[in-house]
Amino acid sequence: MASRASMDHIRNFCIIAHIDHGKSTLADRLLERTGRVTAREMVTDQILDDNPLEQERGITIKLHAVQMEYTARDGKTYILNLIDTPGHVDFSYEVSRSLAACEGALLVVDATQGVEAQTISNLYLAVDAGLEIIPVINKIDLPSAETMIENVRQQVIDLIGCRPDEIILASAKAGIGIEEILEAVVQNISPPKGNSEAPLRALIYDSLYDPYRGVIVNVRVFDGTLREKDKVLFMATGQTYEVDEVGVLYMEQHRTGELSAGNVGYFTASIRRVRDTKVGDTVTHAQRPCEQPIAGFREVKPMVFSGIYPADSDDFEDLRDALEKLALNDAAIQYEPETSAALGFGFRCGFLGLLHMEIVQERLEREFNQTIVTTVPNVRYLVQHTDGTELWVENPAQMPEPVKIAEILEPYIRAQIITPTEYIGPIMQLCIERRGVLLGQHYLTQTRVDLSFELPLAEVVFDFYDKLKSISRGYASLDYEYSDYKPGDLVKLDILLNGDPVDALSTIVHRQKAYEWGRRLCSKLKKLIPRHLFEVVIQAAIGSKIIARDSIAPLRKNVLAKCYGGDVTRKRKLLEKQKEGKKRMKQIGRVEVPQEAFLAVLSLGDE
Amino acid sequence: MKQRSIGLYLHIPFCQHKCSYCDFYSIVTLDGMERFVQALCEEIRFRSQQFGSDAEVRSIFWGGGTPSLLSIAQTEQVSRVLTDSFYVAADVEWTIEANPGTVTLEKLYAYRMIGINRISFGVQSFDEGELNFLERIHSPHQAEHAVEMARRAGFDNINVDIMYALPGQSITTCLASLKRACALEPEHISAYSLVYEPATPLYHKLQRGEIVPLTDDVEAEFFLQTTSFLAEQGYQQYEVSNFARPGKECRHNLLYWHRGEYLGFGPSAHSHWDNTRWSNIRSVARYVELLARRQFPVAMTEHLTVEQQRSEAVFLALRADGIELATLESLYNCSTTTGPVAAVIADWQRQGLATCDGRRLCLNPSGYSLCDALTLELLNVLEHATTEAAVL
Repeated sequence: MASRASMDHIRNFCIIAHIDHGKSTLADRLLERTGRVTAREMVTDQILDDNPLEQERGITIKLHAVQMEYTARDGKTYILNLIDTPGHVDFSYEVSRSLAACEGALLVVDATQGVEAQTISNLYLAVDAGLEIIPVINKIDLPSAETMIENVRQQVIDLIGCRPDEIILASAKAGIGIEEILEAVVQNISPPKGNSEAPLRALIYDSLYDPYRGVIVNVRVFDGTLREKDKVLFMATGQTYEVDEVGVLYMEQHRTGELSAGNVGYFTASIRRVRDTKVGDTVTHAQRPCEQPIAGFREVKPMVFSGIYPADSDDFEDLRDALEKLALNDAAIQYEPETSAALGFGFRCGFLGLLHMEIVQERLEREFNQTIVTTVPNVRYLVQHTDGTELWVENPAQMPEPVKIAEILEPYIRAQIITPTEYIGPIMQLCIERRGVLLGQHYLTQTRVDLSFELPLAEVVFDFYDKLKSISRGYASLDYEYSDYKPGDLVKLDILLNGDPVDALSTIVHRQKAYEWGRRLCSKLKKLIPRHLFEVVIQAAIGSKIIARDSIAPLRKNVLAKCYGGDVTRKRKLLEKQKEGKKRMKQIGRVEVPQEAFLAVLSLGDE
Repeated sequence: MKQRSIGLYLHIPFCQHKCSYCDFYSIVTLDGMERFVQALCEEIRFRSQQFGSDAEVRSIFWGGGTPSLLSIAQTEQVSRVLTDSFYVAADVEWTIEANPGTVTLEKLYAYRMIGINRISFGVQSFDEGELNFLERIHSPHQAEHAVEMARRAGFDNINVDIMYALPGQSITTCLASLKRACALEPEHISAYSLVYEPATPLYHKLQRGEIVPLTDDVEAEFFLQTTSFLAEQGYQQYEVSNFARPGKECRHNLLYWHRGEYLGFGPSAHSHWDNTRWSNIRSVARYVELLARRQFPVAMTEHLTVEQQRSEAVFLALRADGIELATLESLYNCSTTTGPVAAVIADWQRQGLATCDGRRLCLNPSGYSLCDALTLELLNVLEHATTEAAVL
């Protein structure tokens, strides 16, 4: 049986690649070659990305794994566990945990694109984790590849210091090089080490929720053997469970009853929420625990926060249900009820990053049919009061009065940007505008440079990525890691409509930018808020000081003049449509504010 | 004594030329007119058997299209079918719409003989350039001549349609057209601002950026100037776009705003009966075909809910001569003298948007200009007041 095979016959590996460099296609091709799926089953390409959002965005959010059997040229049959990795900077901790479950990695680089920032940072994680790297240049069949291959080959050599002949030239699409890749996996990646008789040590690298069986926990077993009916202890959470089912992962779960050292698979134990199975946690036997958990576990902390409110206040309970269900399968999201004077009852949600936030919003709308209003995302600030106490602020509306604040600290990131050299100028300018400091630049080749910056996270949250893409015509790639908290000269900018403060529109900005922001925000809101029967005054304020003002003149004409009297139905429908439009607005005092106004700040840069 | 007072609308869907702004249903191929007339007569007879027995017709309105395109014989035939099929009140208001370019003195005399006692001319403007822009087929002089002929034929109830807020129009040219209209001393003036209706040539021009519409603020100014000019000339505004000498308000028009009952004949005509509204199909060919098979040419039917009935009562009345407070109170089971409804009414009065004598709420000219927004505001408080009453 597969799970009892000697460890010499097991290879655990993952694929490191940039978006669109062909990771999913390559994975599909490996599955096809090893008979895990037939060509007929491959009706939709990219089998491992089964979430429609993932397919649309061409990224992997949830991890997948699949076990294949491959008979190598040496005549022996090997078990290959391919562990998929998420492809976005928001999920770099998850990447590090799936790398920890492997002994090797395929480094896949697009022959026409070259190495990108995401690839480099994940590669460094893999090298740090001691993984054997197998370099692959993909898409060599593309006509434009011909002139680029040598250049890309040199980039790869510079990056990992391999020999030119170690690089496999492949085309996942055309099926070129697949055999060589499988051989390299078997020959170059070392088999797992471990002792199946030792106390159990298994690493959770992913989990997903199944409504019938509870959480399906994906693990890599380092030592010991996991069997059904075992009592297991989750070392970080301290919780114990009895194992119901154990198996390996083909395309579906395949029950084997046990999983021993060196192998990758899953178990279920009637666990109700994915947050009880923290990625990176160590699973051991309750009766005979291992001495040390597997190193590298971290509590995942949200970095970006935003308010999520039901568009119709009556739907608050529905939204709560939807968030509860969503969290069953998303261990990273945090949410707690909050009240906004402007938006009513809703939730303050914490996300790993902007992409994670977008995914959650889209899932709420698509999977759970919620119509939501989201507020401008912000980071978590550390406020030091004049009396020496400290306060974490996740919602700008909770920022204390300026007189009570000694200092505000904000989170910083180290950003790595890889770009063709011709865009260095505009990128430098963008980063400096965003209060960035250049830490270093490193030429990867004559035409590609690796820039590293320290930037306040708050500045990256505001459309930084889109800006970067647009000024570099899509060529620059970004990766970042969180560094630390630093003091900043920050102020809370409030927006008032006819004198009423709109808490949901408050933002924290750098003092030097506050006037400009206030002015632009007022003019943006002027465009987004419809005219009313009375004048609407929009003001931006720091504390009690008004720093910008705009106004919307009262409506003077709102009537359909020509109207064939007999057709009352049409008239009524027009009126009902106007009424529906009003329903989707939020009432601030007497002013009706459309939902898009709450995200106005995000697109201020476009002006 | 008949049980109910009703109106009849006849849609004559033919035009010599389609005007650039018009989205009413009509076709420019005239060879099917005779077959259409027979189908129309069929529909009238058909419906009269169903609804005619207890109804007294107090207004008839022939619209279009261009009803004046029908020959005298055709007009006579349809009229005979109407009067044979329905009980028509002795003092009926009977209007025909006419294009100033398609009437003759002979035709106008014939109308009078038939019993038609009100005529509405689609004059639109007295400016040559504006008439060209609107793609009207008549000249300013023809319009004046048509009104003079109607007087000679004995019409003592004449309406003139004027359109304003045309792109590039100034308040001076707008008032010049109104002055020339007033000089003809019509009993009634319909003054409409131009609306860009989807699926009209003008709308496409707008989409392509070939014309620049007036801003809402400028349009509001035109509206207020029009209203005050016509008031000076003795024309009282009794609906957003309708002005009349005292006692000459269009009965058929008011029937619509008072939620009266009416039957519509011809393609695209609308009907309202017993809280049901329906409309006919918009195709002459289908219309003729269905009636030949003795089937109703109906495209859409809706039975109005109580909620829809009362919101109609409010929005239709606010557009016209206002609503009784007692009616509001009984429809929505709420007070209009205290609470949020009273507050809205007081607010409108304070801003000069409406007048309320304690019995009836009417919009003022500046209120008519904001009619839709005000309607929504009032309906909103009325609906909340009802919900709260229901909870209590």
